[in-house]
Amino acid sequence: MKKIFLPFGKISKQTLIIMIVLQVIVTLLVWQTTSDGLIPKPGNVATAFGQLLTTKLFIDNMFVSLALTLKAMLYSIIITLVFAYLSVIPFFKSIAQLIVKCRYLTLTGLIFIFTLLTKDGSELKLSLLVFGIVPFFTTSFLSVIINIDKQEYELCKTLGYNNWQTLYEVIIVGKADQVFEILRQNFAISWLMITMVEGLSMSEGGIGTLLIKYNKYNDITNVVALQLVLFLIGLCFDWLLGLTRHWLFPHSKLKQEVAS
Amino acid sequence: MTTCIKKEILLKAENINLSYDDKIILRDINFCIKDIVRMDVKQGQVVSLIGRSGIGKTQLFKILSGLQKPTSGTVKLHNNQTVKAGDMGVIFQNYYLFEWRTVYYSLLLAAKQNDVLKGKEKETIEQYAADFNLKDELKKYPQQLSGGQRQRASIIQQLLKGSDFLLLDEPFSGLDVCMLDKVTNLLLQVSTSDELKTLIIVSHDIITSVAISDTVLILGSENGKPGATIKKEIDLIERDLAWKKDIKQEKAFIETVEEIKDCL
Repeated sequence: MKKIFLPFGKISKQTLIIMIVLQVIVTLLVWQTTSDGLIPKPGNVATAFGQLLTTKLFIDNMFVSLALTLKAMLYSIIITLVFAYLSVIPFFKSIAQLIVKCRYLTLTGLIFIFTLLTKDGSELKLSLLVFGIVPFFTTSFLSVIINIDKQEYELCKTLGYNNWQTLYEVIIVGKADQVFEILRQNFAISWLMITMVEGLSMSEGGIGTLLIKYNKYNDITNVVALQLVLFLIGLCFDWLLGLTRHWLFPHSKLKQEVAS
Repeated sequence: MTTCIKKEILLKAENINLSYDDKIILRDINFCIKDIVRMDVKQGQVVSLIGRSGIGKTQLFKILSGLQKPTSGTVKLHNNQTVKAGDMGVIFQNYYLFEWRTVYYSLLLAAKQNDVLKGKEKETIEQYAADFNLKDELKKYPQQLSGGQRQRASIIQQLLKGSDFLLLDEPFSGLDVCMLDKVTNLLLQVSTSDELKTLIIVSHDIITSVAISDTVLILGSENGKPGATIKKEIDLIERDLAWKKDIKQEKAFIETVEEIKDCL
């Protein structure tokens, strides 16, 4: 019992599960007792959540959002990898660093420019998402490259590798598993942006459009239920990406086990 | 005394100096390693570079391996070419291996760098793995290996690369008595695998290093002079202390160890 309050204390899996279940129950109880007329009670949210999952409107909108997010993530990771790999070449280093700094730009201020540059709503949403995601992906991947152990490069040198072979072995092959980790860590950002971007072009629908509609009519119960769905999808992707990483790159699992 | 002759120069360090800003780390390092020829034995060379912790051994190690450029001076090999990264086999203190490659693939990458092994990489790897008792570990990742297995994998990797020189940074550090014997036997096995095979062991473990060496170079600082230099070179063949089993008990060996300690 003392261990759960001890810094760096190690607890069994069973204790962890019991602790999480208890924390969830306490949260629900606090929620149930403190929520008034405006904030929906957990029971109402659960009912709305169940109903939402069975409606065609929700399923259609969910697929629209998922498809757009996955497409944006795919484009973003390709752009990120190209610039991150090139960042070890002095000529491209400054470009990669500029992309990193672009994360301070707000998407709202760029909507008009992107509207002029794109031909339809779909393209506008995708380009805004990619523009928003790439700086975060690049920041994460450049940090991976910067923190590469010097010995990895030295081992390449002792094996007689030239600079291109070293780039391929240490960064492209050696850090391939990190691409999945970056996707996993930054999926939350993409998911956060999708709801905002979808509000710009509502004709195609999406989770963002649904959220705006429910908010407009003060349907807080459905808004919270929708948030719950977003949260669970996020967790699901987190788990799936972690699983894929360990399956494709078994050493990443070993590394994690050694670290823990 | 064991009869042998020293023939051509295999490695020559000339006037090596290293300084950072105004701080002199290494000063006037000069030594050479010659090919030792013994009748009926494929006798490689084992040179120990001994010095106190923090004296600059690792810097000299990196200069010898071509990983670091000295402020002035050169390290030349027998073909009179200045040493560059990749010319020497280097085994780092923590036996670093690519964490994302299996042992087999790591060895294959090294073998592919060696033109002599072209087309017979797989057989050579299997042969080395059998010789070094690492056959069952070929499909494993470095994280799954013990310290001793990692060390052997590192040595095989550098041997497959085909360099005549093998530089080892503190190979005896942190080993228990049992492992220490295994490692020294392993190094002796490597040193007698080829006539030109030359091991340069950088260590502060005097007894173990001297016991398997034919030459000892002592890196230390001289009174009143900044930076470390080669203070003394001891020819263990001359003293009849090279290539002998159970040498550690001999009086001359104990005296030599004391002489080295006094010099540090």
